[in-house]
Amino acid sequence: MNPRTLLWLAIGLVVWAVLPFVVPRYMADLLVFTGIYTVAGLGIGLLLGHCGIVNLAQATFYGLGAYASAYCTVMMGLPSIVGFLVGAAISMVLAYVIGRPILRLTGYFLALGTLALSAIASALFFEWDWLTGGTLGIGGIPKLDLFGFLLDRPSRYYFFVWIVAFACMAVARNLVDSRTGLMLRAMRDSSTAAAALSIDLQALRTKVFVVCALFGSLAGSLFAHHASFVSTQSFTVDRSISFLLIPVIGGATSIPGIVVGALFVTFLPELLSKLGDIHQILFGLALVAVVVLMPEGLVGAFGKLRARLAKRGSGHG
Amino acid sequence: MTLSLILQALFAGVTNGIVYALVGMGLSAIFKGSRVINAMQGEFAVIGAMTTVLLLTRTGWPYAAAIAGGAVAGALVGAFIEVAFVRYMAKKNASEDSFLLLTIGLALTLSASVLFFIGRDGHLLPPLGGAGVLIILDAVIQFHALWLIAIGIGATLALRAFYHRTTIGLSMMAASIDADGAATTGINVSRMRTYTFVLGGLLGALGGILVTPLIGVDYQLGLNLTLKGFAAAVLGGLTNPLGAAVGGLTLGLVESLAIIGISSSYKDVVAFSVLIVIMILMPQGILGRAGRRGG
Repeated sequence: MNPRTLLWLAIGLVVWAVLPFVVPRYMADLLVFTGIYTVAGLGIGLLLGHCGIVNLAQATFYGLGAYASAYCTVMMGLPSIVGFLVGAAISMVLAYVIGRPILRLTGYFLALGTLALSAIASALFFEWDWLTGGTLGIGGIPKLDLFGFLLDRPSRYYFFVWIVAFACMAVARNLVDSRTGLMLRAMRDSSTAAAALSIDLQALRTKVFVVCALFGSLAGSLFAHHASFVSTQSFTVDRSISFLLIPVIGGATSIPGIVVGALFVTFLPELLSKLGDIHQILFGLALVAVVVLMPEGLVGAFGKLRARLAKRGSGHG
Repeated sequence: MTLSLILQALFAGVTNGIVYALVGMGLSAIFKGSRVINAMQGEFAVIGAMTTVLLLTRTGWPYAAAIAGGAVAGALVGAFIEVAFVRYMAKKNASEDSFLLLTIGLALTLSASVLFFIGRDGHLLPPLGGAGVLIILDAVIQFHALWLIAIGIGATLALRAFYHRTTIGLSMMAASIDADGAATTGINVSRMRTYTFVLGGLLGALGGILVTPLIGVDYQLGLNLTLKGFAAAVLGGLTNPLGAAVGGLTLGLVESLAIIGISSSYKDVVAFSVLIVIMILMPQGILGRAGRRGG
C-alpha cells in the first residue's frame, strides 16, 4: 500500500468515525440503514458480479433474519444473539435446499425464478401471522446490548452496524481472492471451460447463494434491532428489487461500489422526497438513466471518466 | 366438495387464465421479437385499464371508444419504450440483465406515476354485457366473464392469423428467427422490433381492460400480472405467443382448482411454485419442443 492510499484511507476512517456525531439525527439513521443495506447488497453483488446471477429473492432472507430476531427476543425472551444465529441457520439451510435445484436455471429464468421465490415468501410472511404477526407485525424488539453498553441511539448503533458491514466486506473480499474466487471468475467468463477443468459449477453457485442468504439474514436481524418493529411491508418483492439495485447502481464487481449503491438507495429517495410525492417517479427515472447510460454502475462510470481525463491530461502534457 | 363448487372453480380458472394468457402472449411476443424479458408487461395492463377509466369517467367517451383508446395507449407506450430505450441499448450490445433492469426501472417509474397522477384508489370499469349472471348447477357466472373468455379466444386466434397470414406478421417472425437473413430479404429488422413492442403493449392493455371489471385496477396491479404473465409464457415455452395462451389457461386452472383444497390466500403461492417447478423440470414448457416452433 503506497503512502497516498494510506493517507486517503486514514481520512476516510476519520470521516467515518465523526460522521454520526456531526450530521442531524435523521441522517445518522439513514447512515445506519446504509450499513444494513451494504450487508444485504454485498451478497447480491457477489452473485451478480462474479456468477452472473440476478438474485431477486434477497428480501426473503432479510425477512427470515428479521423475524427470527423478533420472534426469539420478543416471543421467547431469548438473548439477541440467538435470533441472529437462528435466522442465519434457517436462511443458509433454506438457501441450500432451494438453491440446489433453482440454480440449475440460467439467465432470465433464474432471475424470474428468484422473483417468484420472493413473491412466495412475501405471501407466506403475510399468511403465517401466528409467527410473523402479519400486517400488525411484531413490536418491542429490544435494542442491542453490548456488554452493558446499550446501542439505543442511531449514533451508537451506527458503529456496530458498520463494523459488521466491514467484517462482511472482508469475508466477501477473501472469498473473491481465494481459490473459490478464481473458480467463480473462470465460471463467469466461460462456464464450459470451467466445467472441463472439473469445477463443480452447481456446487459453486450454491455456495455463493448460501453466503448471499447469510448476509441477507444478518442484515434483517440488524434491521429488526434498529427499527424495534417488523411487519410484512418490509419484506415484499419491492424490497427485493431495491436490494438488487444496490450492486447494479454502484457496480457489482467492486466492494466500494456496493457502499455507493447502498448510499444511493437510502439517501436519494430521502433527498428526492423533499420535492414531494413525485420522488418515486424520479427515483425510477434515475434508475433507468443509470442502467441505460452507465451499464457498469456509478463506480465503473467514474473509473472510465478518470481514465479519460488522465488520457487527455497526458495527451496535452 | 360439490359439483357446483368445482364448476365455479373451473370457470374462475378459465377467466383468470385468459387474463394471464393475454399478458403472457404480449410478454412472449416481445421476447420472441427482441429477446427482452419485459418486466413491465403488467404495467401495460395498468396503462390500458387506467386510460379506459379516465376516458370513460373524465371525458365521457362511449365505452367501446374508451376501450379502444386504452388499447391504443398500451400500444403507443410499447412503441415509445422500444424507440426511446431498447433501440439505443441494443446498439450498444447491452446484456440480458441490463434489459431486465431497464424494464424493472420502467415498471417502477410507471407504477409511481400512476400513484402520483391518479392516486392510491382502485378503479372499476362497468362489466361488459351488463351486471347479469348465468347460473349453471348453482355455479354463478358473470356475463362479463363470458365476454372476457370470448374476446380472449378471439384475440388468440387473431394473433395466430396475424403471425401466419399477414406480411407484417411473417416478416416479424422472420426477423426474430434470423435477423441477418431477414435483413437481406429487405425486411426492416429494427422496425419489426418496434412492432413487436406495439403488439406486446396492445395485448397487455387488452388483458388489463378485461380484468378491471372483475378485480379493479390500481397502481400495484402491474407487478402481480407481470409475474403471472411470465409464468404463463414460461409454461408455454416462452418464445411462442400461442403457447402462452395454453400456459395461461393451465395456470389459471391449477390455481383455482388448488384453492378448493386449501385456503384461497395461497393462490399466489401455488401459482409461483408451479412456475418454479415447471422451469426446473420442463425448461421447454408444457408443450415440449413443439411449443418452440417459430422461435
